Amino acid sequence: MSEKKNNRTPFHPLNWLKRAFFGGSKEFADQMENRKKDDVNDVEEIVTPAKQAFRNFMEHKLAVAAMCVVIAMFLFVFIAPLFMTNYKDAYTEVTQKNVRPGLDMMSVPAELKNNVRMIDSYGSFSVGVNNDGKVFVWGDSVIGTTKIDVADIPEEVLNDKIAMVAAGIDHVVAISEAGKVYCWGNYKLGQYIKDPDAPRDNPNIAYMPDELLNGTIDVSQIKKLACGYQCSAILMQDGTLYLWGNKNTYANFNNFLSVSGLTDIGFTINYIVGLQEDAKSVYTGTRGLFGEARANLDQKAEKLSSFLGKRTIESFTVAGVNLCLQLSDGSICFVGDFRSNLVPAPVLPEDEYFVSIAAGTYHYTGLTNKGNVYSFGENTFNQSTAPKKANGASQVYSGAFQNYAVDDSGKLIAKWGLKGYLFGTDSYGADIFQRIANGGRMTMTIGAVAVIISSIIGIIIGCISGYFGGKVDMFLMRVTEIFAAIPFLPFALILSSLMSQMTLSENMRIFIIMVILGVLSWTGLARLVRGQVLVARENEYVLSAKAMGVSAARIAFKHILPNVISVILVTLTLDFATCMLTESSLSYLGFGVNYPRPTWGNMLEGANNSTVIKNYWWQWVFTSGFLAVTTICINIVGDTLRDVLDPKSNIDK
Amino acid sequence: MMVVLLILSFIMFMIYNLVPSNRAYTDARTEVQSYKKGLTEEQRNQLFDELYLKYQRRYGTDTDNKIIRYLRWIGVYPLYDGSYNGLLQGNFGYSYEAKDEVVNVVVAPMKNTIFINIFATILALGISIPLGIICAVKKGSKLDQGVQIITIVGYSLPTFIFAILFIWIFCSILGWFPPSGMKTPGSNYTGMKYWLDRLYYIALPLITMTFCSLGGMTRYVRASMIEALSMDCIKTARAKGLREKVVIYSHAWRNALIPIVTLVVGWFLGIFSGSLIFEQMFALNGMGDLMIKSLRTADYDVVLLMQMFYVMMSLLSNLIIDIVYGLVDPRVRVNK
Repeated sequence: MSEKKNNRTPFHPLNWLKRAFFGGSKEFADQMENRKKDDVNDVEEIVTPAKQAFRNFMEHKLAVAAMCVVIAMFLFVFIAPLFMTNYKDAYTEVTQKNVRPGLDMMSVPAELKNNVRMIDSYGSFSVGVNNDGKVFVWGDSVIGTTKIDVADIPEEVLNDKIAMVAAGIDHVVAISEAGKVYCWGNYKLGQYIKDPDAPRDNPNIAYMPDELLNGTIDVSQIKKLACGYQCSAILMQDGTLYLWGNKNTYANFNNFLSVSGLTDIGFTINYIVGLQEDAKSVYTGTRGLFGEARANLDQKAEKLSSFLGKRTIESFTVAGVNLCLQLSDGSICFVGDFRSNLVPAPVLPEDEYFVSIAAGTYHYTGLTNKGNVYSFGENTFNQSTAPKKANGASQVYSGAFQNYAVDDSGKLIAKWGLKGYLFGTDSYGADIFQRIANGGRMTMTIGAVAVIISSIIGIIIGCISGYFGGKVDMFLMRVTEIFAAIPFLPFALILSSLMSQMTLSENMRIFIIMVILGVLSWTGLARLVRGQVLVARENEYVLSAKAMGVSAARIAFKHILPNVISVILVTLTLDFATCMLTESSLSYLGFGVNYPRPTWGNMLEGANNSTVIKNYWWQWVFTSGFLAVTTICINIVGDTLRDVLDPKSNIDK
Repeated sequence: MMVVLLILSFIMFMIYNLVPSNRAYTDARTEVQSYKKGLTEEQRNQLFDELYLKYQRRYGTDTDNKIIRYLRWIGVYPLYDGSYNGLLQGNFGYSYEAKDEVVNVVVAPMKNTIFINIFATILALGISIPLGIICAVKKGSKLDQGVQIITIVGYSLPTFIFAILFIWIFCSILGWFPPSGMKTPGSNYTGMKYWLDRLYYIALPLITMTFCSLGGMTRYVRASMIEALSMDCIKTARAKGLREKVVIYSHAWRNALIPIVTLVVGWFLGIFSGSLIFEQMFALNGMGDLMIKSLRTADYDVVLLMQMFYVMMSLLSNLIIDIVYGLVDPRVRVNK
């Protein structure tokens, strides 16, 4: 029994007790060692307290599982961001806001797969029509807070034979082979007319023309059907333009209501663009737009008129902020705004040229006369990495961040680009999964550094105060009292708010937040250590150490501290969780780390209104889930550690 | 304790002095601008200098010596004209946002906060103490294990996640409660109807607050009860043949009370700072909301006063803990 008890007392006191009673320790240690070797069965196995604690810990299944989860989380947040090379803190994407979680953005329905007539997409869903005239919608098709699901294709559309479709940000336009124009999806901002009897008096809406609403148009005469952000356009061969939708989404909308004689039309994010018969410039109705051209995405821009020379623009393909022009000599050029780090268009051999070009939001996919497929432009979601098997296609379709290559028979032979977002996107259009990984790293770093700071202060003050006692103790405890009397959250708020008044870099701010958290949370630990040290210093081994002439500091830190290490360890674990929570609360209130830099707290900041909570559940469920699981697991580990390391609670069990 | 308060107030004051705001300057500026345009540039500057000095003297900022400023703020060092005007004289500062004395600004939110917190505290104590005792008595039972799991979740999660979760459940899915606000917008109820409306709006924050504070408290009560139940005197009491109820509520509970008292008193304060988040979340016009608003608009006089209030509260709770200790446990006598 006594042997058993000895096992539980920490290693050092044992050693010192032996020294105190038996004098020379070397022989004794050897003796013990030999005895252990000689008859293991006779005497119970001697294990170090650390080993014993480890064994006890392993007995708690829940704690071991929690430990695994914590380690997994650590690995996730520190390793996963390394693979997210395309991740940017300030990434925003207007067409991908509030996208539901799912990886089905490229899952083309089976009935369409071998029979594609055309595919189009603009925002988070895609629409396709097969050669039998049947329409399919896939991707995230529920529109924002309206509960309108674009995938609910109207009955009459399903019964009719559809010739062509186009997708806008939240609506779909389809034209049947007989020339009937169908629209569905969101109609609230003039995307189409749902109720013919409703008043049409909103000055900000260009209503859908009556001839489309009631009559039919000649499908063979349609030159282009295009949909943009809440707008749609049908351009006929004879230059007639039907344009309707929300006027506010495009600054130059009104110019296009009166223009005639266009040979092409398209929608960028901000402007409607057209091509007039002279084919020398891009028509926007506004001066100074798209006036500079570049031969390739990585080359310098020059004036469009001088760049064109005698060439004319045959047709254009419209991406989000720029256009790809196909010129009369078979070459292509680009106009508009370009970000850096784009995948440039390939330099084609003499006898090869692009026959058709399709555009997504930030990329283009071109098909050459030899059947080769090239993608160029932005490559954030690998949408500009055309696979080898796409070569041999007879038609390519692109939209948003997806590409589809189709062969002669209408068979889908390759698709590449954005599959979807595992955890959806936030209100800026950024991938929540990536932000969780990167935000977790920030949250955990802040928590860890804060805990390290607080424990260093706490341990030093606790040790000194407990060991020396008297006036030192008195003074240090008053200091502790002062710090303990500072209400935590308000004070941290104030400090970080004051900091935001000063001109500090974001990194400096974050570091100061860590320091604030650390400096404000050491008092508990200091008191605990002091209490433990007060008890420990009365032990005989301390007396004997003193008798041997060991210096005070050495006794305090070398002999006493290891005995209180178990308490420290437990507090550390639990404090780590607390610091993470505090950081989250601070950031949540907007006083910690600021957007765009993610932390788990400020990612939830957007979720403080009931609209988001109700409609965009994925924007808070996953983040709070990660935060919750991590802190719960850390707390379970901490609690179990306390049970394991503290002999008293062990007896209790 | 007074020393601690003094030191803290000094630290606070110094921190606020880091903010580059100059009230005398802005006041003089506005006053000069309010004069008619008849003045030349020179006259203007001269007038500004005069006013600036006047305001500096009035606010006690005519010296760069921080210590003198601090003493003036407290109200123990005379201003330029020899009068005293500080905290001790009842001058708590001036809110720029509300254009009013800070004291008047703070009153209404304070009432709200206290109103809500009293309810929340009573509810939480009323639930967690019996629950903790039951769990301790029936240690290891299914109920105990269930409560253990719930409470560890309860104290591991940040409160705002609970708030989000509860808004989602009760407002979005069930539609029982309004998600935010203090009263029906535009309503002007009186009497009974006013109170019912108020309770209807406060119900959800109250439930959330109560739930959030349950976790830690229940665990604490349970732990100290378990410790108390393993004492020798309990064995004796049982051996005497006392009824189990008497053993638990009279003998064990009394012994478990000491650590609980510490927590309960300290906890009043916890609810104060916790309400920062709740009030923000549920758009309640309380102290926390006021604090965040003032911080956002850099209305530092309000923040400073509120901070001092929080400090006072925490020091006061320390004092109360000491006193209550003595009452609960006759062995403890603070006689230093």
